Amino acid sequence: MWYYRTPTVVFGEDSLSFLNTITSKKCLIVTDKVLEKTGIMDKVRKQLPDNTRVMVFSDIGQEPTFSQMTSAMDSIRSFGPDHIIAVGGGSVIDTAKVILFRYARPEMDIYDLTPLEHLGIKEAAKFIAVPTTSGTGSECSWAAVVSDEMEKRKNELASAEILPDYAILDPSVVLGLPPRQTVSTAVDAITHAIEAYVSTWRNFYSDALAEKALELITGNILTVLQDPGNTEARNSVHIGASMAGSAFSNSQIGLAHALGHALGAIFKVPHGTAVGLYLPAVVEFNSLEVGERYDRLNSIFQGPFRKDCLADTLRHLFSKMGQPTSISGATISMDSYIAAKQNLEKLAMESTGVVANPRESESGDIRRLLEAVMN
Amino acid sequence: MPVFPSKDWVASFIEEINRNKKYEDAAKDWEGDFNFVVEKDQKFPETVYIYLDLYHGKCRGGSLYKSNEAPKAAFNYSGPYQNWIRLIKGEFDPLKAVLVGKFKLKGSMMKIMRYTGAAKELVRTANLVDTQFQ
Ligand SMILES: [Fe+2]
Repeated sequence: MWYYRTPTVVFGEDSLSFLNTITSKKCLIVTDKVLEKTGIMDKVRKQLPDNTRVMVFSDIGQEPTFSQMTSAMDSIRSFGPDHIIAVGGGSVIDTAKVILFRYARPEMDIYDLTPLEHLGIKEAAKFIAVPTTSGTGSECSWAAVVSDEMEKRKNELASAEILPDYAILDPSVVLGLPPRQTVSTAVDAITHAIEAYVSTWRNFYSDALAEKALELITGNILTVLQDPGNTEARNSVHIGASMAGSAFSNSQIGLAHALGHALGAIFKVPHGTAVGLYLPAVVEFNSLEVGERYDRLNSIFQGPFRKDCLADTLRHLFSKMGQPTSISGATISMDSYIAAKQNLEKLAMESTGVVANPRESESGDIRRLLEAVMN
Repeated sequence: MPVFPSKDWVASFIEEINRNKKYEDAAKDWEGDFNFVVEKDQKFPETVYIYLDLYHGKCRGGSLYKSNEAPKAAFNYSGPYQNWIRLIKGEFDPLKAVLVGKFKLKGSMMKIMRYTGAAKELVRTANLVDTQFQ
């Protein structure tokens, strides 16, 4: 027994106009300071029905902590939104998930946000996610990453009840995504598809989504990087990234995420860059268990990029995209990485990414994977 | 071959836990006791508790208790007898079984979410016990 969960996905050109059709008296828009000043926010606001009152919460930093995410709860509660619309990347959408949780259940602790608890929050407000990056998949997932500054860790929280009701995938909002973010978020999405496809929790739904996601992303990402304004290619990567999010959300992440979350918590490397750094080494490690499945994924890559095995194909594609495959490429000094290794190992071992990884991993394996990117 | 659940089965289970290097590795920082609660159902008339004192990758002791005599533990992992059989036979993933409501897990969520690997290995150790079912 298992579930297949997805928001209603509104996709393609002009899909933001869906907002025109909602019935909302009071709408909370969660976004960040940069986006607040761009045309994207204007577009969103213009689409909302005339009689909808809007409150904007944009006080969200790069890797928000629980207290930052919930810093405006008093005013949000007195405003009383019937809709929460997240407009932004993964951190913004995750913040909106945490806000929805705290809005409905103020008495609960952050760590109650687990799939093991019934939260009863679905009735509090409708939840719409408008991703402005193509990669995190947060708009289609029931997970939220919350940084813990004191402990220097990234908490992986999850509940089916924080899955958005609607995900709006409008390519116009990602046309202006800067190249670095385009790369790191696409690498994140590729990692989602690959980890979902081999997880011990994989299923027919996650398989189908992962295969198509990989085809759409890897078949279009280099076009997007060469021609950022190419709406068709952007649309394909945007939809592919969302499918990859849905794939891992209905299956599981694996060791690349366990290691990447650990690295990101200590070195503030962008999430996609961090998980992609370890992905080829993790693929090599897992090949013993799921080699055939990796071969099938490898066959999805277009001819010119495909190498004999998936790990080499990934290294090749990543080098073309500008994604680092070693810690020096990720601008981390060797000394500081070595000094942090023990802590990285502990954090990775404590990640939920180890649970459904296709090959069992002990601390020695984690250590070797951490060392694999030191060249 | 010990019958599940019985004092002999718990003794064999503890032996397996203490032999299991994977569990020891995954739970090397773990401090906290566990109750495995085998709930009554049509095939099993009375709920029993398997108490385990777990510390730094080892099980320091434990036994089988009737529900009114069981020591309190930091974590309770509970499900009906029929589901325990399937779990011990390896037909359920221990964590997925909670997510689909076959088992319940009570205790500090903050702690358990950091030791999902250890918890999975602990439950899986039960597969290693040569078990006879009632
Ligand atoms: Fe990710």
